[in-house]
Amino acid sequence: MQEDYFSFTNRLFDPSKIYEKPEVLKGIRVLDISHMIYGPNTAKILAQFGAEVIKVELPFYGDYWRTATYWGKFWKHSNPLWHFINHSKYFITIDVKKPKGRELILKLAKISDVFIENFAPGTVEAWGIGYSQVSKINPKIIYVSLSTFGQFGPLKFQPGWDLIAQGVSGWMSVTGYPEIDSHYKIPDYLGDFYPSHFAVLLILAALFYRQKTGKGQYIDLSQAEVLMRSLYHFTYETVTGKELGRTGNFDPTMVPSGIFKTSDGKFIALAIATDEQFEAFCKAMGRVDLFKNDRFRNVLSRLKPENAKELCEITKELISSKTAFEIIDLAKKYGFSASEVMDDVKICNDEWRRQRGSVVHFKDEMYGEFVLAGPIVMLSKTPGRIKWLSRPLGYHNRYVFMKLLGLSEREIKQLEKEGVIGYWDNRVGLKPPIGYDIEKDPVFNYKIDKEREKL
Amino acid sequence: MKEQVRPRYVRGKKTLKHISKWEETLTALMNPEGKPEALDGILVLDVSYANFAGIIAASLLAELGAETIKVEPPKGDPARFMSPYGLTVGDVGVPFLMEGRNKYYITLDLKDEKGRENFKKLATKADILIETFTPGFMDQLGIGYRQLSKINPGLIYVAISPYGHYTLQAKELSRIPDSDLVAQAASGLPALIGELPDSPEPYNWPTRAGFWASWYISGVAAAMGALLALYYRQITGEGQMVDVATFDAFSACVGFPVTMGFVWGKPRPRYGPLDYGLCPYGFFKCKDGYVAIAAFRDQDFRAILKIFNRWDLEEDWRYLFDRITDDVSKAKELNREIENIVAMYTCDEIIRKFSEYARKSMRSKLSGGGLPVTAKMLTPKEVLKENHWYLRKTFVEVNDSKYGKFVVPICGKLSETPPRIKWVSATIGKDNEYVYRKYGLEK
Repeated sequence: MQEDYFSFTNRLFDPSKIYEKPEVLKGIRVLDISHMIYGPNTAKILAQFGAEVIKVELPFYGDYWRTATYWGKFWKHSNPLWHFINHSKYFITIDVKKPKGRELILKLAKISDVFIENFAPGTVEAWGIGYSQVSKINPKIIYVSLSTFGQFGPLKFQPGWDLIAQGVSGWMSVTGYPEIDSHYKIPDYLGDFYPSHFAVLLILAALFYRQKTGKGQYIDLSQAEVLMRSLYHFTYETVTGKELGRTGNFDPTMVPSGIFKTSDGKFIALAIATDEQFEAFCKAMGRVDLFKNDRFRNVLSRLKPENAKELCEITKELISSKTAFEIIDLAKKYGFSASEVMDDVKICNDEWRRQRGSVVHFKDEMYGEFVLAGPIVMLSKTPGRIKWLSRPLGYHNRYVFMKLLGLSEREIKQLEKEGVIGYWDNRVGLKPPIGYDIEKDPVFNYKIDKEREKL
Repeated sequence: MKEQVRPRYVRGKKTLKHISKWEETLTALMNPEGKPEALDGILVLDVSYANFAGIIAASLLAELGAETIKVEPPKGDPARFMSPYGLTVGDVGVPFLMEGRNKYYITLDLKDEKGRENFKKLATKADILIETFTPGFMDQLGIGYRQLSKINPGLIYVAISPYGHYTLQAKELSRIPDSDLVAQAASGLPALIGELPDSPEPYNWPTRAGFWASWYISGVAAAMGALLALYYRQITGEGQMVDVATFDAFSACVGFPVTMGFVWGKPRPRYGPLDYGLCPYGFFKCKDGYVAIAAFRDQDFRAILKIFNRWDLEEDWRYLFDRITDDVSKAKELNREIENIVAMYTCDEIIRKFSEYARKSMRSKLSGGGLPVTAKMLTPKEVLKENHWYLRKTFVEVNDSKYGKFVVPICGKLSETPPRIKWVSATIGKDNEYVYRKYGLEK
């Protein structure tokens, strides 16, 4: 007899085997000189899948996001919201504006495969580490410039980030209720995180092409453009000449749809996309008459504004007479799309996410146990993984400069003295956790002869 | 024409000259005409059904040059009719048409023995397969990953479903179909949008993002997973299965909800137009629209006070810790002050004031280094009028004999292998003849 499908897939994706499986991007070196979220998260995804990511920060100050926590709360002297954007990386510091710093960056760029930056357009060129300079010493490099408006065009010097991109792309103007004068951001910097996934997609395409032809290339990704790519509103606008505007919780492409309150005061999201699902929904709710009604039977007629409105009202009534548990139970049995509205705590403690590996309880050597999000996509043979959490500012300086660039003890001391490289300066968010004896840390105090002894 | 703000380091004539030369190179680099395609020679089969995450993933691969065949049942994919208020162009809905780039359309009945044989023939030649059926459906038909990987070991099988294709819970909930709104809710997005808890109902309820946030995140994640697997196959020759759960889209993409739940131990309330991090940070109503007012650093906040001549506020809100929004009533107070100030000006006035200040501030070592940033909130209609995007060719104009005139957006500029739109089409079974002949399928 054939094995049950789910027992086959459970074996295929077994989370306990993740760390035994190979890493797809092993051997790819990424030089990440970006800051905040858009760039660092791009590099993080590459690190998740096995790339060696070297994160370069400014000595003594570090990435601005190191201290940008919510409501002033830190966790073991670190920003809890920084770990999931910067895990599994090597942390070094270089002051790019000093000539010696520039030299160091170029040396590292020479032995890297991917270079990621997200400064204002033109800045890296002015610093002498732009694509025109780096491609001369390493023509195979994939150089990624991330910005809000892109590297060319009249608005290129306009500074921006998530909020600005959400505003100028149209994302903000289509979210919210038409009756009230209030505009909401999409929370949690989705306007940075979503484009960073897109950036990884393009980097992978470039890596694939490089593998075939040996050619590197330059990537210019404007985050506002990525947000626009996700709106069908432009096409709608040019076809009808009308604006779709805001529609609150009603998704105008599916009827009925919305977020409704149940009899036990919980919120349920429900959306019916096809005729098949509508039939299932009507049967589950004991309202087969709705499906027999000519106005509602066909999807296109259901979507007409007046019919949609009526059906959403009926649905609201139907949902308010049942508990959340009852509705999910019916959805499971009959097959229509519904779920409770999940919040932070529910997501963090969700058993399904833990089993799946998208919520990871990670034990770190420096910070202890921490809960963070796992990879967004699961691969059966080369799964993504978390190797270590973030590290204090300049933690891997000696390790990277000695091992990769072959600098001597004396040269490192000299760089430290000149302020080209540096450490955390005792600031919260930048320094090691409470009670951690950094003087005994073998990586932080990396010595080259140790390596020789091993050999 | 808007005035431009130059960053501080771009000052000398030499630098400016370098930049303008660099820009010329750049513009030339970004022209897709006649350039090679990254995924040239890769065959993608898209059998997604009533699910845009799969359609989007296929579109992205098609833009990068893969030969993408959309396989539909004879009646067509129900996704064709997922359109705002049922609006159809020709015979399809707007989103389906917009994602119909560089694709071949064939019809094939998977429930029929001959259809399955044809499908197997295609899958033997395919590099990437995308499906969005109920977990186990393809397996039952004998064309799941388990069977296809035997006849084509290099196949990359991308499965998109609400709860994924493994774990106990996914099995139990496998009959629940996918939709964008429910995926948003299940992954924690609407819980964070909406008015403050003390506002009137239903505006303080969880609120959805007004576009297909989850489907687009999942689509990009699926295409990303496919390329990761493709890269691995290039080295080892082995294919694999790639699994995307759309009901995990938002939380897995941003990572915030998971760690917030762990560190804070309680769910965040909805914050209305306020920000969880800092105040002011958001769009404020001015005389003729909305403008962004955002102050990350102390110097930016001081710059805003100076610009609006409201230095009197400085004493109360001097430090960053005064402006974090842990105390909502305090945050509302400052927010109201900013609202009142912004309401006195027009958009253009504010933008002009800000850029004047920024230019002066950049040249002066004494002004505290504040760099106030603003932008006007635009509706999609206004975005289309922006010259910047026109010059960057963000929107491709299509003039089709069947579907008429419309625009579709595209993004990502690559110097060697730029993504591009070669054609836009959506006619059902349009390429039956071509594809059936090319791959030797039985009619």
